[in-house]
Amino acid sequence: MRGAAAIGPGTGTGTAVRVERVSKVFGRGEAAVQALKGVDFEARQGELLMIVGPSGCGKTTLLSVIAGTLEFNDGNVTVFGAGLHGMTRSEVTAFRGRHIGFIFQSFNLVPTLSAVENVSIPLLINGVARREAEARSRAMLEKVGLVGRGGDTPLQLSGGQQQRVAIARALVHEPSLVICDEPTSALDRENGRRVMELMHEVARAPGRCVIVVTHDSRIFRFADRMAEMDDGRVARVHETHETYEAGDH
Amino acid sequence: MYRIALKMLFADRGKYVMLLSGLTFATLLMTQQAGVFAGILEWTKGNLKNMRAPLWVVDPKVEQVNEVKALRDTDVSRVRSVPGVGWAVPMYWGILQARLADGTFKPVQLVGLDNATMVGRPARMVAGRIEDLRLPNAVVIDELAIQRLSRGRPRPIGVGDLFEINDREARIVGVCRTEMSFFGYPYIFATYDQALQFAPRVRKMLSYILVSPAEGVPLATVAARIEKETGLRAYTEEDFGVSTVRWFFRNTGIPTSFGMTILLGFIVGVAVAGQTFYAFILENLRHFGALKAMGAGDGLLTRMVVLQAFAVGLIGYGIGLGVTVLIGSLFLKKGMPPFSMPWFIPVGTLAAILVICAIAAAFGIRRIRQLEPAIVFRG
Repeated sequence: MRGAAAIGPGTGTGTAVRVERVSKVFGRGEAAVQALKGVDFEARQGELLMIVGPSGCGKTTLLSVIAGTLEFNDGNVTVFGAGLHGMTRSEVTAFRGRHIGFIFQSFNLVPTLSAVENVSIPLLINGVARREAEARSRAMLEKVGLVGRGGDTPLQLSGGQQQRVAIARALVHEPSLVICDEPTSALDRENGRRVMELMHEVARAPGRCVIVVTHDSRIFRFADRMAEMDDGRVARVHETHETYEAGDH
Repeated sequence: MYRIALKMLFADRGKYVMLLSGLTFATLLMTQQAGVFAGILEWTKGNLKNMRAPLWVVDPKVEQVNEVKALRDTDVSRVRSVPGVGWAVPMYWGILQARLADGTFKPVQLVGLDNATMVGRPARMVAGRIEDLRLPNAVVIDELAIQRLSRGRPRPIGVGDLFEINDREARIVGVCRTEMSFFGYPYIFATYDQALQFAPRVRKMLSYILVSPAEGVPLATVAARIEKETGLRAYTEEDFGVSTVRWFFRNTGIPTSFGMTILLGFIVGVAVAGQTFYAFILENLRHFGALKAMGAGDGLLTRMVVLQAFAVGLIGYGIGLGVTVLIGSLFLKKGMPPFSMPWFIPVGTLAAILVICAIAAAFGIRRIRQLEPAIVFRG
C-alpha cells in the first residue's frame, strides 16, 4: 500500500485530509451529471469537520470520495499523507480497512450478530484473532457506555444504543479518519446530542480527524469547522463557534 | 470473518430453512431415485446372483442373463473337452406357470440344476435339504414363492406340500432364500432332469452351461478358448452382469425415465437453492456493502459467500442422504421396491449438490463483486 504504511493516530498534527480539484461525473453523454466540480478543501488533524449544504449539492459524493469508497474522475485526495489517487482498488480497500472508521446513517449493523460481533468486524478484517477482537470490542463498547450489552443483537437495542455500537465499531481498530454520514438523522434530540458529544471527544484524540456529513442543524455546534457545499463545490469553510453559536436550539 | 458469515446465514431462519429444504429435497430425489434405479439394475442380475458360477456359456447371440437361446445337450460335452475347463454342467432356466390351490396360476422361474453336482444351487436353505431334490417330483421353493403360491390354502405353503407346474405335480422338499430378480417371480429349483419334465418339451432345452476353469487356469483364458473352439459365448460372472446392465440401458426406457427424475432433482435444487441464496445475498447487500466499505476485499467476501453456500449445501446433503438411507432400509426390509446404494450414488450426488451450491454462490458473488461500497452512504 503506497504511502499508507506510516500513517496512524498520533503521527501528525497538521493536515488530515487534502482534497484538490476533485471532480466526479456520474453517467455518460447527455445523461452525465457532474456531482463534484473541482472541489478543494482540507481537514485538519484533531478536528471535527462538518460538511453541510442542501440536498443534491454533492456532500455524500464528496464523503464517499474521501472515504475511498467511490472512484473520482479527476484531482487528488490525500488522507494522512497517503494519496488515494495513486492506489489500486485493492490498496484502497486495504487502506480503508486499516485507517478509516465508518458511521452510517442507518447504522448498518448486521442484525443477526451480537453487538460484540458487529464491533469486532473491522478487527477481524484486519486479521486480528477472534478472541482478541472480541475482548477489544467489549472494552470499546464499555467506552461508549454500553456496559453489559455486548451479547445483545441490534434489534434488542434502542436507536441511540445501536448508533453507539456503530461508533464503537468505527473506533475499535483505532482509525486515523472517522467518516460519519448523517449520524444523528435516525436519533431523537437527546440521543443525537450524546452521540455528537462522543464524536467531539473522539475527534480530540491526537492525530485523528472526524468528518461528518449532515444537514441536522441541531448538531452544527459540535463542529470545529464547517465546509459549506453548493452545486458540487465547497463554497466556504469557516470556524463554527462564530456563526453557529446560536444554532444550539 | 468465516464464523460471522456462517452466523449471518444460520440466523436468517427463513432463508436458511428454505435453502436447507431445497437442497435436502434435491439430494433425496437424486439419491433415492438413483438408488431405486440401481436396485432395478441389481434385480436384472438376479439369475447371476442366485445361481453362481465362474463362467456362463450361452448362445453367441445372448446379450443378457434373462435372455435364453437354448443350446444343444451335446454342447456341454463340447465345452468339457476344451483345455483348461475344470468342470461344465448344464442348467435349465425358464418361466412356467404354477397352479395354485384355488385354481389360479402364477408365473414362476424354474431352475434346473445339474443332478450330480447341484452347481448353481441356492446359497441359503431356510428349510429342508437341497439334496432331497433328487427325490421324485421334488422342488425347492424360495421365500417369495411362499407368499405367491399360498393363495387358497389354509396355511402358507411349505415343505411337504404339493402344487402343479405345467400340469405336473411338484412336491416341496425345501425352502431357500434368494435375491429378487427383475421379473419379480419366485424361484423354483429342481434337478435338471426333473426341470425338463416340468417344462414344455421343445427341441433344445439347455439354457446355460455353467463352467469352472481347471486349477491355475485364468478365467479369461478359459473363456477365450471356449469361444474359439465351440463358437459359443462364454461370459465371466462379472462380464455377464455388465452386459446385462448395458442391454437394459440400450433396450429399455428405464434409464431415461429415472434419469429424467434425477435431472429434475438437480433442476429443483438449482432453482430453489439458487433463487433463495440470491435472495439472501440481495437482502444482505447493504451489509456486504458495509463490510466492503470497512475494508473487506472481494476475495474475502467471495470466500464468505462460498462458505455460506457450501455449508448449507453439505448440511442439506447430509440430511437428504440420511432420509434416503432410512427410506432405503425400509425398502430393503420389505424387499420392495428395489433399492441399492453403490458408493458412486452418494459421491455423484455430493458432486451435483456442490455444483448446485457453486451455481447459487456464483450469482451472489457476481452481485457482490459489482457492488460499490459507496452504496452504504445512500440512504
